Amino acid sequence: MIKVKNLSKSYGSNNVLKDINLDFLNGKVYGIVGENGAGKTTLFRCIAGLEDYDGEIEAEVTPLKNHLGLLLTEPFFFSKITGSEYIRLLCNARNTPIKDMESRNIFDLPLNQYASTYSTGMKKKLALTAILLQENKYYILDEPFNGVDIQSNIILTEIIHKLRELNKIVIISSHIFSTLSDTCDEIHLLRKGEPIKTVQKNEFKDL
Amino acid sequence: MKDYFLLQYTMTNRKLADWGINPFVAYVLMVVGFIFLSEYLYSVTEFAGYVVLVVALSVLTNTSETQRNNFLLIVFGNSKYRKIRIIENVCISLPFSILLFYHNAFIESIALLTVAVVLAGLSFKANLNFAIPTPFYKKPFEFTVGFRNTFYLLPLAYALTVIALSVGNFNLGIFSMLLVVFISLTYYAKPENEYFVWSYAVKSPQFIFNKIKTGTVYTTFLALPILIAMVMFYPLKADEIVLFTLISLSFLWVTILAKYAAYPNQMGLPEAVLIAMCVYYPPLLIAVIPYFYYKSIKKLNILLK
Repeated sequence: MIKVKNLSKSYGSNNVLKDINLDFLNGKVYGIVGENGAGKTTLFRCIAGLEDYDGEIEAEVTPLKNHLGLLLTEPFFFSKITGSEYIRLLCNARNTPIKDMESRNIFDLPLNQYASTYSTGMKKKLALTAILLQENKYYILDEPFNGVDIQSNIILTEIIHKLRELNKIVIISSHIFSTLSDTCDEIHLLRKGEPIKTVQKNEFKDL
Repeated sequence: MKDYFLLQYTMTNRKLADWGINPFVAYVLMVVGFIFLSEYLYSVTEFAGYVVLVVALSVLTNTSETQRNNFLLIVFGNSKYRKIRIIENVCISLPFSILLFYHNAFIESIALLTVAVVLAGLSFKANLNFAIPTPFYKKPFEFTVGFRNTFYLLPLAYALTVIALSVGNFNLGIFSMLLVVFISLTYYAKPENEYFVWSYAVKSPQFIFNKIKTGTVYTTFLALPILIAMVMFYPLKADEIVLFTLISLSFLWVTILAKYAAYPNQMGLPEAVLIAMCVYYPPLLIAVIPYFYYKSIKKLNILLK
């Protein structure tokens, strides 16, 4: 479980997040929807511990960040590192031994090529593969469906369902509501840093 | 094209201002520092010319980075892009070339300028299907990336060792070993994206310890052929060789610590000045290493709580 209590974040006088209270339960998939600048990425960065904030973020395992797989909107890659080395780097970081990488290459990526030469979608798939192989307890996926082809979107949806079955917490942001409605159990709408509405799965059709 | 160079100048001034230094003072200091360091280098070693060449080449390779060059090519088109690259490379290599010329290394001086112009036509393309093999693939990334960027410099260092041993020049042999360590130091010059620090499930002291351990093991691995050959050829000077190795490794440690002391920013003038002071007077390392260590832990604690 992840509990976000009275979370606020400001950059100078600009209040990006205002008094956010959210609970994320195990075995559930959550969507965060909001227009550009609504504070989705900042919320994710606060949960990940990449930003200082006011308020509290609690999890059953601490530090939360050591059990969190974070997929950034635009994953960063070194210029001369191969796909397999990227995966190894991230797995080493979490002390997760990596065996038989080829058989776990779910997106069939050219792992022996430099990751920086991958297309946008391939980069996202590589970053996702790496955080999945880290075997995290929590997953935050910032715009995971952006730039990814339809076939990979289907695989991605299946992966998210599988993570739910494994009792993981998955938090996703997306502008594509249909992909969220296919995968999420609950969607939080964010506007100007404030949660304005929470929608349960049976209410998605009303949105 | 003029706008591009004006923009570079403005960006440099902004960076200097961010460091809290008046740009004019910084430029004067740079010139004075360059003259002072180069004169010091020439006063302490007869192989200063080689050091100058290696430093110049490693600085030049930075301008051959693919993404940057692709951007320039898209913005300026082929003809202007070539001109920009040549002007940049000549500007970078000119101080080194003048220095070599001043010290009567005429051929090296002209060769450096020629290489600068040739390199301007090259872009070290990362978009090859072929990845350069590296012995460091198990622990990415500094040595994996660094080795691929500088693999052509290592044979030069080994060749210098062979020359040193064949002509019986102990100092040249030590210099070739120092060169390998210097190449390793350059792998730690730039800060990595915060994601690659944040990802580690360790506390800051362990993170630093792991970085230093990997750096030490891999640098020793690269320098090992030189060390073994030197000890075999100069068994009576084994203690001296070990001492030089330890001192050079401590410069690797101070560089790693300086990198994280400045993190997430790139190493700036304060770190560079302290390292330069250690080069001038190595016992200072005893104070500088703990200082950088303390600062690194403080900076890393933000991401590795």
